Amino acid sequence: MTASVRGLTVSLTRGGVTSDVIRGVNLEIAPGEIVGLVGESGSGKSVLALALLGLLPESSAPRISGAVTVAGVDMVHGNAADLRRVRSTELGAIFQDPMTSLNPTMRIGAQVTESTHSTAESIRLLSLVGIHKAAERMHAYPHELSGGLRQRVMTAIAVSGTPSLIVADEPTTALDVTVQAQVLDLLRELRLTLGCSVLIITHDLGVASQLADRIAVMYAGRIVEQGAVHEVLRKPANPYTVGLLGARLSLGMRRQGLLATLAPETASPDERMLGCAYHSRCLLATSECAIEAPPLAQVESRADGHVTACWRSPEKVSALGTSLRDRAAAELPDLAALAPAPLSKGPAVEVADLTCTFTAKGGRGRAKSIHAIQGISLRVESGEALSVVGESGSGKSTLLRIIAGLTPATSGTVFVTPGQPQMVFQDAGSSLTPWLSVGETLRERLLALRISRSEANRRVEHILESMGLPASVAGVRPSELSGGQRQRVVLARAMIIPPSILLCDEPTSALDASLAASMLNLIREMRKRLGTTVLFVTHDLAVARLMGDRIAVMNRGRLVEVGEADSVISRPKDPYTAALIAAVPEIIIDGEPGS
Amino acid sequence: MSLIAPAPPRWRATSTGFAAGLRLNFLLVSLLVLTTLIALFARILAPHDPVQPVGGLNLPPGSDGFPFGTDAIGRDMLSRTLYGIQASWFSALLVVAVGLLIGGVIGVIAGVASGWVDAVLMRMTDLFLALPGVLVSIAIVAALGAGLGNTLIGVSVVWWPYYARMIRGEARSIAVRPHVEAARLAGISRGRVILRHVLPGVVPTAVVTASLDVGNVVLLLAGLSFLGLGQSAPAPELGADTARALSQLLSEWWVPVVPGIAVLILSLVANLGGDGIRALTAKRR
Repeated sequence: MTASVRGLTVSLTRGGVTSDVIRGVNLEIAPGEIVGLVGESGSGKSVLALALLGLLPESSAPRISGAVTVAGVDMVHGNAADLRRVRSTELGAIFQDPMTSLNPTMRIGAQVTESTHSTAESIRLLSLVGIHKAAERMHAYPHELSGGLRQRVMTAIAVSGTPSLIVADEPTTALDVTVQAQVLDLLRELRLTLGCSVLIITHDLGVASQLADRIAVMYAGRIVEQGAVHEVLRKPANPYTVGLLGARLSLGMRRQGLLATLAPETASPDERMLGCAYHSRCLLATSECAIEAPPLAQVESRADGHVTACWRSPEKVSALGTSLRDRAAAELPDLAALAPAPLSKGPAVEVADLTCTFTAKGGRGRAKSIHAIQGISLRVESGEALSVVGESGSGKSTLLRIIAGLTPATSGTVFVTPGQPQMVFQDAGSSLTPWLSVGETLRERLLALRISRSEANRRVEHILESMGLPASVAGVRPSELSGGQRQRVVLARAMIIPPSILLCDEPTSALDASLAASMLNLIREMRKRLGTTVLFVTHDLAVARLMGDRIAVMNRGRLVEVGEADSVISRPKDPYTAALIAAVPEIIIDGEPGS
Repeated sequence: MSLIAPAPPRWRATSTGFAAGLRLNFLLVSLLVLTTLIALFARILAPHDPVQPVGGLNLPPGSDGFPFGTDAIGRDMLSRTLYGIQASWFSALLVVAVGLLIGGVIGVIAGVASGWVDAVLMRMTDLFLALPGVLVSIAIVAALGAGLGNTLIGVSVVWWPYYARMIRGEARSIAVRPHVEAARLAGISRGRVILRHVLPGVVPTAVVTASLDVGNVVLLLAGLSFLGLGQSAPAPELGADTARALSQLLSEWWVPVVPGIAVLILSLVANLGGDGIRALTAKRR
């Protein structure tokens, strides 16, 4: 075994509260094996990575029981010198954000050489991870490199000691989809050339399915299902895995109807300690599930090593898929009370020859022009939904901001139908004023209507209900809400006076799959009901296809393709669109797309 | 090393350490409150008239009825110190409050407006910052004539630019946050955006900086008073009392030292209390 985790339990103290973050995890990683560790945020997967590296933060007073062994060394009780030796010769680590993991004041050559102790070796490694002209790049600072290149530098450092295990914690989450595909290729290649094992931690089942031999699904600090990747993804035997697969969006899924969602967590941490941690969200749960946690056991009539922690039979579990969609329908709030905005004919938005140039201060005081948008003409009809897709730096958010009136255009004409468009931002947390309660924030939009206080309160209650939020939310501040709730509050602010145009700037990219799905359901249903014109900016092609009647693809400030959603995806005309589609990590098992 | 770790999250070490830190900070802030109460009730707490001779000349501390002793003409040192604390403390608070008010208005406007308004206001602030502050205060007091009111004017004139600078930076960083854009999109008027969506975010930093600054003002005012730029002669004032009795330092040390120590303690309390406020607000953010 390259690495083994046995009966690991970790409790951490954060903000004065101590909680078990990992509860009895067993995991073995064989030499040369790629293991995918999958779970939603807060499942404990990153803490498991830190435990493997012997890097649990001292500041959160970790209490550890069980054993973590890497290359024969005890990572829990080993002395500091041993741990350092293992970390430098046996382990490599790649984290999500290469910008914060690299030292901004050091040239990358110097940083790689810190691990390799030889310039020649550094250049060799940088070439190995696919950096062209490595000798020249050695002199660059991290900020001079793109995100993908920075992640390659991190990878070069990670493989410098020819490690037997690379721990990659969400290595592609901060990267564009085409860059993500390159980094995944790189990891696969390194396994072949170096023969090392890889533990890849990700929230994206697609990423895991493309890379991993074996997959472990984590929930609330436990591994709930584990097995060969094709087994787990094709015949999942745990309701949570079924839910994750159901809530995942894919390019091939049907566009009509609701997306499957998971129920929200309702059990208290104490209740979750006692029984199956998933029982309050599980559609198959019985009273037994709330009392006793199921052990991780071999699934009958499946390949050896496919284990799941569930009392229900695999047959019942696999039949769960359809009921998730029914649940999504039941979860959907009553939108009947929302009054549609007056429909108008003709274009809602029309831009012609639009350009937008920013001046940024370059190095040594020189001003540098950034051409965010370089000549775009686009027409959006009233009541239409248009998805704008592109990678970071494509200018898609700038286009949205110009339409919203937040950023002035440099040249060209912008027509927007009368009435201020409303916007849903990517980061709901920072788009809500932290010291105002939700009710205060929502009432502010009603000020212009000059209605009475009680009438305003009634409408606030109403819109919260329509967004599927309890009325009590009006009294709390944004910091007390979960990410999904905050995003609903932002949507509520936009919709409390229904706008003729709703602008969405990656509203779901910071949410877990299931929360994202229920947010998308809500926006789609609302649009169906109100006939609102929607411009939906996203980097995710599957989301774009679901949310837009048409898709506009942007690249480096230009519109490369506009067309009917399905025809853009199935028959892309522009090579850039085709490259984007090819890079989407779809779940592919034995060469055929999964369901 | 083939490993680069992310910065360790900055969580509080343990819950007991957390509680102990909380108690200490409350203690520090209560020192501020105590000092303010002493200053407020100085007239009640003082056992004697601070200006009239009431006992023997140069009685040492601990003498019967005069715990801090008496000065060269037999005035009670305790009463003079209490009155002095009152004048120093409230003067310092007033200067800081005026600084916050002027600096706050200019800083918030500059921070939110940006563009030429920002440029004009900040260059004006820079102009004041470039002046040698203490010298300008002395010049102003000299021109207006000695006296507490004039001293406060002189100090306030050079004190606000620091606040304008600091608050402008803070307002700027909040004004560019998405929630301010969201408020604009929600159709909220400019004034309301400033008052409701920017200003409350500036207040914590402003309060912390101001509370840490009170000690500096106490020292500056005592210095000016030492130079004879405070209240006129018989009035009890810490800096001036030290200056006038300096010749007694080797014979009757307590006469110049007691008011000097009072200044030291005031400044110390202001700084410790400011630290306490900073720690308490930092936790809540």
